[in-house]
Amino acid sequence: MTLRRVTIVCCAVTLISTACRSEPDAKRAALTAEAFARAEWSQVLDQARGSTVSFAMWAGDGARNSFFQGTVARAVATELGVTLRMIPVVEPADVVNKLLNEQRAGRVDQGTIDLVWINGENFRTARQAGVLWGPFAERLPNIRYYDPSDRRADFGTPTEGYEAPWEYAQFVFAYDAARMAAPPSRLPDLKAWIQAHPGRFTYPAIPDFTGSAFIRHVLLHASGAPRAAFDAGFDEALYARASAAAIDWLREVRPSLWRQGETYPATPADLNRLFVNGEIDFSMDYNPAFASDRIARGEFPATVRTMVLDEGTLTNYSFLAIPFNAANRAGAVAVTNYLLSPAHAFSRMREMGGVFPLMLEPLSPAERQTLASLAAGPATLPLEVLTQHRIREADVQYLLRFERDWRREILER
Amino acid sequence: MHRSRVSRLATIAGLTGLGCLAVGPLGLLVVNSVGRHWYWPALLPQEWSLRAWRYVASPEAGLIDALATSLMIALVVATLSVMVALPAGRALALHHVRYRRALVFVLLLPVLAPPLAATMGLHAVFLRLGLADSLAGVLLVHLVPAVPYATLMLAGSFANFDPLWESQARTLGAGSWSMWTRVTLPAVMPGIAVAAAFAFMISWSQYLLTLLIGGGRVITLPLFLVGFVRSGDEAVGAAVSLLFIAPTIVLFTVVARLLRET
Amino acid sequence: MVKPPGDQRATRAPTVLMLAPVLMVVVGLFGAGLGAAFLESIGAEGANPAWTPTAEHYLAVLRDREFRAALGLTFWIATATTLVSTVLGIALALILVGLVRGRQTAYVLLQVPLGIPHLAIAVGFVTLLAPSGWVARGMFALGLIGAPSDFPALVYDGYGIGIILAYVVKEAPFVAVVSSALLLRLDEEYLSVARTLGASSWQQFRHVTWPLIAPGVASAALMVFAFVFAAFDTPFLLGRPYPSMLSVVAQRRYLSIELADRPVALAMALIMTALAASVVWAYVRMPGSSLGRERPAVF
Repeated sequence: MTLRRVTIVCCAVTLISTACRSEPDAKRAALTAEAFARAEWSQVLDQARGSTVSFAMWAGDGARNSFFQGTVARAVATELGVTLRMIPVVEPADVVNKLLNEQRAGRVDQGTIDLVWINGENFRTARQAGVLWGPFAERLPNIRYYDPSDRRADFGTPTEGYEAPWEYAQFVFAYDAARMAAPPSRLPDLKAWIQAHPGRFTYPAIPDFTGSAFIRHVLLHASGAPRAAFDAGFDEALYARASAAAIDWLREVRPSLWRQGETYPATPADLNRLFVNGEIDFSMDYNPAFASDRIARGEFPATVRTMVLDEGTLTNYSFLAIPFNAANRAGAVAVTNYLLSPAHAFSRMREMGGVFPLMLEPLSPAERQTLASLAAGPATLPLEVLTQHRIREADVQYLLRFERDWRREILER
Repeated sequence: MHRSRVSRLATIAGLTGLGCLAVGPLGLLVVNSVGRHWYWPALLPQEWSLRAWRYVASPEAGLIDALATSLMIALVVATLSVMVALPAGRALALHHVRYRRALVFVLLLPVLAPPLAATMGLHAVFLRLGLADSLAGVLLVHLVPAVPYATLMLAGSFANFDPLWESQARTLGAGSWSMWTRVTLPAVMPGIAVAAAFAFMISWSQYLLTLLIGGGRVITLPLFLVGFVRSGDEAVGAAVSLLFIAPTIVLFTVVARLLRET
Repeated sequence: MVKPPGDQRATRAPTVLMLAPVLMVVVGLFGAGLGAAFLESIGAEGANPAWTPTAEHYLAVLRDREFRAALGLTFWIATATTLVSTVLGIALALILVGLVRGRQTAYVLLQVPLGIPHLAIAVGFVTLLAPSGWVARGMFALGLIGAPSDFPALVYDGYGIGIILAYVVKEAPFVAVVSSALLLRLDEEYLSVARTLGASSWQQFRHVTWPLIAPGVASAALMVFAFVFAAFDTPFLLGRPYPSMLSVVAQRRYLSIELADRPVALAMALIMTALAASVVWAYVRMPGSSLGRERPAVF
């Protein structure tokens, strides 16, 4: 009897204290969107000086982590007087869920994340939930280096200034030139190749980001519908046509895939392991410099090269966004502006390779000179080739529907 | 006897097999962390390199700090868990408890439940309590999966403890403190050591709880490890894995040696 | 020594006070967390006060084909792991207890796998047992196989063999440690009586040893089952995308970019909790189970 009573009391105490809201910590007056819109850029810089910015970014790459905590942190400290702190994140969705919980608990400021690296799908979720601060992107001085059409929408979701484009991503395939002299570069040729070489090709299973990108290429190219048709929002009839052709394509190659398509690697790490050990002959990634990176760290043999499809491969930008409850919004804005600058792009290319993400026209002659002097990695395609074969992402609805259809039709049979 | 020799061989073969299965992955992690260009069918890497370890040791990586944080948190959680679980384990084992079965069942719930079940809710609770994004919050929330394990283990330990020994000590004139330190604690020390070790390991391995409740202010080793493992930088992933394993192996070996002396 | 029955307290501290801290943590914190998850899974939305409870998320889970496939796989892997670990653990304990020399060393060695976190074992296993892994390369060097595709699928296979092995490496020593502690406490008298009566080794085990250690072993086996049922790291690294274990499916749903999937993920996690809980409850209610007795004997 006593035990039951004590239990009830314990639960009551905990639940009552749970129901009481904690005092909001109002130390620094948070920069509102309106105040930011009115403020002079120098005022923003002044407010940012001397503060710390906590940047939540993907931390699975040693070279990248070193670069940000070393070179970038030093540059930001020197130029802006800001201390940059990196928060390791594995999935952007974890951050969105954290923000969602905080929003529901009423924690509207003093959030621990000031700046977040985000991609298209998660941006849409974050906007739907209203957990981002803004608009801010169009007010950044360095936004002029980015193509307006790249700034306007992210996977078909209008950015409306709530995120700023940052790093350039274009889907590429990797192959070992020592094993394969002339890889198939058109989708029908790829299909014929897969069927002629059973067990030598596969792709990561959805919901992996890279695997999802691969099947999107099939969706966009298999039916022969012109790319422009996908730009006009989500069209049910177009989707029906394209997905039918794509499902057929994927279903027809499935018996010739690795493990007869009964299973797929779960992560890009698994895919790359199969690739380097000679179980399959192609790898793929969103980062056009991924092969050069891996050659540099001794994972890929030096003979690996990358390629794109003749029909084009998907490009998108990774973006930077600011959580609705960020404690240091001025600092986040200032750091974002620095990350969009040519100086940062150059230093990134120097230390990590990669592709130049900015437009060429706004660059000064000296900056163009610097760009020309930077060498791309041995396995990275030249920017001209990449640009000639770029196609933009379609509306995110296509992605959501096709991922679901893939699981139903291909994976679950 | 022929049969005993055969059974001895079988024993040795079985133990060796299990040993290889347990130790093999460890050895491979070591090789992976110092190798470059290791492809099929090579049994050893083509080249050797300390790149991964140099990165792990570098201050920019933040891994040594994360290791220290993880260590500190796990030690505190282990201590707190044992302190909280000692009286509870004793009561569970030695006292007459009504609804004992229900109590044991309730204690098992945090052990049974998938991490996702309570984590979202715990984050909401901690946000309300003002404990989110803090070290104190992380310490407290790690207790949730650790304390039930510790309690059940100590309950088992106390089940073999005879309170008559304590009564005898009292009869001989020992005060409460002497009785605790000279009779009770030494008798359940094995259970305490094991409970503390498991509580340490549970806290050491937490990922989602630390991510959400720590909110980016508290950075522990699993937060980095999961990213490296999924990304494919095998050398660094292996090195961080070894960094992750080292303290717990040391801990369990020490506990095992402690136990065999009792 | 025969222990008198009934209340065994020698301290005057009230039972409830001794149990209070643990209860506050488990029932208070965890219970609140579980409760909040439950509320969200039936439709609560935190900020929005006007919501009606709904079972739609639970129904969505039960209707989901992936969930049902995952359920079967999870029960299979948890059961197989528990059985193999238990049998192997008892065997290891018997060997350990029977050793005359080197018992201490063997005991310490047995505990080494216990000190390796599951995530790390899973990582190592990929390198060891993948088709292009080290064991396969060893077999290639010995001329037993010609290519990675000849190596049997131990990881990413449909039966979860890799997952089971990765768990057994840790859980068998766990059961072994528990069992050896129980075996060492056994009263030798029973066994010598059995031997005098002419019982063989197997009969000694089956009729004397096993009934005495069964309750403690069963508790350990139960903890193994419950852990494997819900754990995430190992099946994520070593399993197939379909069917996956329940924890991986729930995690995938939770990380989905569709906000509407979040309550479904929570519903799935709660269903998992309920399933594992009912298995344990059934065990606890069994007569003779150690957890139901007056004296739980986990160690």
